[in-house]
Amino acid sequence: MADDNIEPDQASFDKGYSEDANQVNQDDLILQQSKNIEKEISDSIMLVGDKEDIMVLEQQYIGDEVYKGKVKDLARKYSNLRRTRPDGNCFFRSFGFALLESLYHLEFNSFRLIAEKSKDKLLELGFQKFTLEDFHDQFMEVVNLISKPETNEDTLVEVFNNKDYSDYVVVYLRLIASGQLQQDADFYQNFIEGNRTVFEFCRQEVEPMFKESDHIHIIALSTALDVGVRVRYMDRGDSTEAIAHDFPEDKPPQIHLLYRPGHYDILYPL
Amino acid sequence: MAGLSPSERRLQKELMSLMKEPPPGMEVDSDKAEQNLNLWTIHMKGAEGTLYDGEEFQLQFKFGPKYPFDSPEVTFVGNNIPVHPHVYSNGHICLSILTDDWSPALSVQSVCLSIVSMLSSCKEK
Repeated sequence: MADDNIEPDQASFDKGYSEDANQVNQDDLILQQSKNIEKEISDSIMLVGDKEDIMVLEQQYIGDEVYKGKVKDLARKYSNLRRTRPDGNCFFRSFGFALLESLYHLEFNSFRLIAEKSKDKLLELGFQKFTLEDFHDQFMEVVNLISKPETNEDTLVEVFNNKDYSDYVVVYLRLIASGQLQQDADFYQNFIEGNRTVFEFCRQEVEPMFKESDHIHIIALSTALDVGVRVRYMDRGDSTEAIAHDFPEDKPPQIHLLYRPGHYDILYPL
Repeated sequence: MAGLSPSERRLQKELMSLMKEPPPGMEVDSDKAEQNLNLWTIHMKGAEGTLYDGEEFQLQFKFGPKYPFDSPEVTFVGNNIPVHPHVYSNGHICLSILTDDWSPALSVQSVCLSIVSMLSSCKEK
C-alpha cells in the first residue's frame, strides 16, 4: 500500500508515522490539485449564465462537421442556450433554473404544492429533520420568488449565482431524487451496476454535491416532481440531429436541456 | 440570530441538537464549542459489547467557512487513539463520508454514528 522509500512529511504530520501517513499525504496533494482546478473553473464560469443565441455553439465547433450539422439541427428547434458551470452539479442546477423559469407560464400553485409535500415524503424515508429543513426552506424561498411580481429573469440569474441559494437548491433537488430512488428501490435496483444497493448508490452518487448525473438521476427527479424534461444529446454519434430523450417517457417536456459529454446546459425552444 | 452566516446558523443548530439529544455514549464539549464554533471536541465511549468497550476517545471536528457544503475535518485526538484498520496512528480517519461521499444533508451526529459503527464492526485489533 505505502512505499517505504518515501520519507514521511514531517511538516504535515508532527509525529512522523511513515506508512499510513504517506498515504494520507498523497491524498492531500491530489485534493489540493483538484481544488485548484475547481477554483479556475469557478473564477471563469458563472453558476448560471445569461441567455445566449443558439448559434454561439457553431463557433465552438469550427471545422467539425459532425457537431456543426447537429448545431444547425438544434437551431431549427431552439433559439437560445443558457450555460451552467461544469462542476458536477450542472444537471441539478440547470433543471432547477429551467423549472422555475417554466413556472412563469405554467401552474405555479400546483408545483408549489408538490414542492411543499416533498419534505414530508423525505422525512418518512428517514432523512434527518433539521438538516432537511434548512434545504427545504431555502428551496421554497426560491420557489416562492416566482409568485412575486417584481421577480424577473435577472432576479433568477442573480439568485442562482448566489451560492447561499443556488447550492441549497441543488442539494434539495439531490435529496428529492434520492428519495424517489429509495421509494421505488425495487424498480431502480435493476439499473444500478455493481453490487451496490439503491441506498448505497444514493449515498455515494446522488446526495453528495459535485457528483455527476446520469439517466437514473434524471428519471428519478423528473418523476418525483412530475416535470417533463427533454434532453438533446449532442455527441459524436452518426445521426444528423441531436437526438431527444424525454423523461419520464410519456410526459410532454416542460424543460429542455442540452447534453454534451459530461455536461448539461439549458435550451429554449423557438 | 441576525448577522450569522448560513454556515454559523447551521452549526448553532447542530450544536443545540447535539447538546439536547446526544447519541448514546457521546458528549460534546459545549463550552469549548461555544467559544469557537468552528472547532468542536466530542467525547465518545467505546460501544458496549465491542472491542472498544470501556475505552474513551476524543473526536475533533474542524469546520471550514463552506460547511456544510464542504465536509468537516474529523480526527481522533488526545492520548487514546483507537486501534483500528481505518484509523491512522496520528488520529486520521479513513471514512468515505468524510471525503468523497460527504453530503450537506449529513451532520456531526451522522458522522459520529458512522464512526461508532465503524469501530463496532471491528472484530480484531
